[in-house]
Amino acid sequence: MTTDDMLLEVRGLKKHFPIRTGLMRRVTGMVKAVDGINFHIRKGETLGLVGESGCGKSTAGRAILRLHEPTAGEVIFNDPVLGKIDVTQADRETMMKLRPNMQIIFQDPFTSLNPRLTVGQIVGEPLEIQHRAKGTELSDRVAELLQEVGIRPENMTRYPHAFSGGQRQRIGIARALALNPSLIICDEPVSALDVSIQAQVLNLLDELQAKYGMAYLFVGHDLSVIEHISDRVAVMYVGYIVEMAKTDKLYFSPKHPYTEALLNAIPKADPRLRTRPERLQGDVPSPANPPSGCYFHPRCRYAKDICSVERPPLTDIGDEHFVACHFARELSLTGVQPLSDIKLQMPPARSV
Amino acid sequence: MTTESPSINLTSHDDVVRVEDLKVSFYTQLGVVRALNGVSFNIPRGRVLGIVGESGCGKSITGLSIMQLVVAAGRTEGGRILFREDAGQEPPVNILDYGKNSPEMRKIRGNNISMIFQEPMSSLNPCYTVGNQIEEAILLHQTNDKTEAHKRAVEVLTKVGMPNPSRIAGSYPHELSGGMRQRAMIAMALSCNPTLLIADEPTTALDVTTEAQILDLMRGLQSEIGTSIMFITHNMGVVAQMCDEVAVMYMGRVVERATVDDIFYEPRHPYTISLLQSIPRLGRTKGRLASIEGSVPDPYSTTPGCSFHPRCPVAIKGLCDTIVPEETIVDAAKGHTVRCHLNS
Repeated sequence: MTTDDMLLEVRGLKKHFPIRTGLMRRVTGMVKAVDGINFHIRKGETLGLVGESGCGKSTAGRAILRLHEPTAGEVIFNDPVLGKIDVTQADRETMMKLRPNMQIIFQDPFTSLNPRLTVGQIVGEPLEIQHRAKGTELSDRVAELLQEVGIRPENMTRYPHAFSGGQRQRIGIARALALNPSLIICDEPVSALDVSIQAQVLNLLDELQAKYGMAYLFVGHDLSVIEHISDRVAVMYVGYIVEMAKTDKLYFSPKHPYTEALLNAIPKADPRLRTRPERLQGDVPSPANPPSGCYFHPRCRYAKDICSVERPPLTDIGDEHFVACHFARELSLTGVQPLSDIKLQMPPARSV
Repeated sequence: MTTESPSINLTSHDDVVRVEDLKVSFYTQLGVVRALNGVSFNIPRGRVLGIVGESGCGKSITGLSIMQLVVAAGRTEGGRILFREDAGQEPPVNILDYGKNSPEMRKIRGNNISMIFQEPMSSLNPCYTVGNQIEEAILLHQTNDKTEAHKRAVEVLTKVGMPNPSRIAGSYPHELSGGMRQRAMIAMALSCNPTLLIADEPTTALDVTTEAQILDLMRGLQSEIGTSIMFITHNMGVVAQMCDEVAVMYMGRVVERATVDDIFYEPRHPYTISLLQSIPRLGRTKGRLASIEGSVPDPYSTTPGCSFHPRCPVAIKGLCDTIVPEETIVDAAKGHTVRCHLNS
């Protein structure tokens, strides 16, 4: 591994939100939404970040872009012009230069587009802010971008409300694409969409990556979607990465008990595979009041004494397989069973 | 309508509910939305029927119609909903003959047929304790004795696997987690031992591990007390794990009905096939997903012919875009039917 193809390195990233109560708004506690995570993304690859709601996956994505100011940690971004820079320390001017290379696509296509701007203005805004184009050059570029994501350029003068959820998500993608970024953070871009539209958007993201070679940090909760899109996957639990590995490794030979439980819980789209595996009991603990030691120990069926005392660090057990579990090397856990390959065929086309 | 009832003949096996050619439209300022364009299906007693489709296809409205809970703007313009409380009951009653607020309907609603909703937080009343809300249904339908009602509420909370049920009965919805609230909803729905349970996306708002717990619970309760379930969802994985039979809906019509095995292994309707092809399959799909072109049409518009034809890769010009396909039988023994010209 040469360090040069490293695009993003996140070290010990933390984001704590204060809990304020009472008349004086005194800080009475901390929600440790992201509590010291480490990961890296190489140029052109897709890292899936998966976890249950409240585990801090979206916060982590936003903290990288400083949409939430990180509490601690380093975010080293390899900018094509400026070289390696710690985003968390960058001043206003440097951030302005960094932003074009780090873009984001949001989850909800209904709230992430300004209803008072036309589609052309929305997609053109980043180009204007960065002084990349104006006048006819700008509208040509916007038309090109819209075409790229499958929206007819004639629609440039229409407002977001005139589009369906899937189309709006395409507009959001065009906006993220406008400045040719080398990293796009995809914050659950398909979870608000219907199944048939979801497939279209996933295909589009795939095509754009093949064409422009940007890297994705794909935040999501649907394990089937994450498996489909990612080269590597990181699993988060209560603000902490518990396992990170190449997609196949993580799905077929997981090393962390939480990953195993998560994979077991996926409802398999095959009626002949009705498994009733051991279910994970209880609920995800609150990040404001997490348990001691390994946060997963109260729900873990392999937990031993040490687990309630000491939090295991994320360690490499070989071949870029990182696990945060005291017994990662000893446990033999079961991954997912690949679904049977059902051959489905459309009825042959006919004419009247 | 009631005079016709004695002549109704339910086919071979005993159905709890039989929906025939149900039509519901919404009259809004922007125009008319034909939400249901003649929906027909049946729920065999003691089975789980999955209603699957994308948003706006009318699956929730179908559930609400059975409960007669469709808002005032929605008008039922035709069809029948035949409900048969127990196997021996003859004839079945047509729910649509009763007024929304008639004493007959109020006796059925929440007692014989009950419903659980997608968002447990917004469907529980934040001002009353969970126990109070469960007791309300029991006091209305089953007994007048308050202590007896409370005892039953705790019983039913135990049944849905609540840890410390008597404490939970005294807590308010905001004190419970999402999974716990959904358990409380299920407890409420089951409190009067309903003949039919309508579950409208009960696990969509939940995380995957909680979803697995709730699905296990529903499966377990279903085999234990034999309630028939109408399970509304858009998740094919949940369908595969939960349902015995499936009805696939598109634009207010049931386009295919079959056993769950046939839907996944022998689907006939191009929409069902495309839907299955467009979901990423664990360990199987790398590269391009097959996707359905275009999107679900605007609800105010009406599509002539088969409503799927503008997106169908194998639509027949001159036929699919003009004539609505009839429901044709693929396999009579297994009850597999499809509405598609290519299969007739």
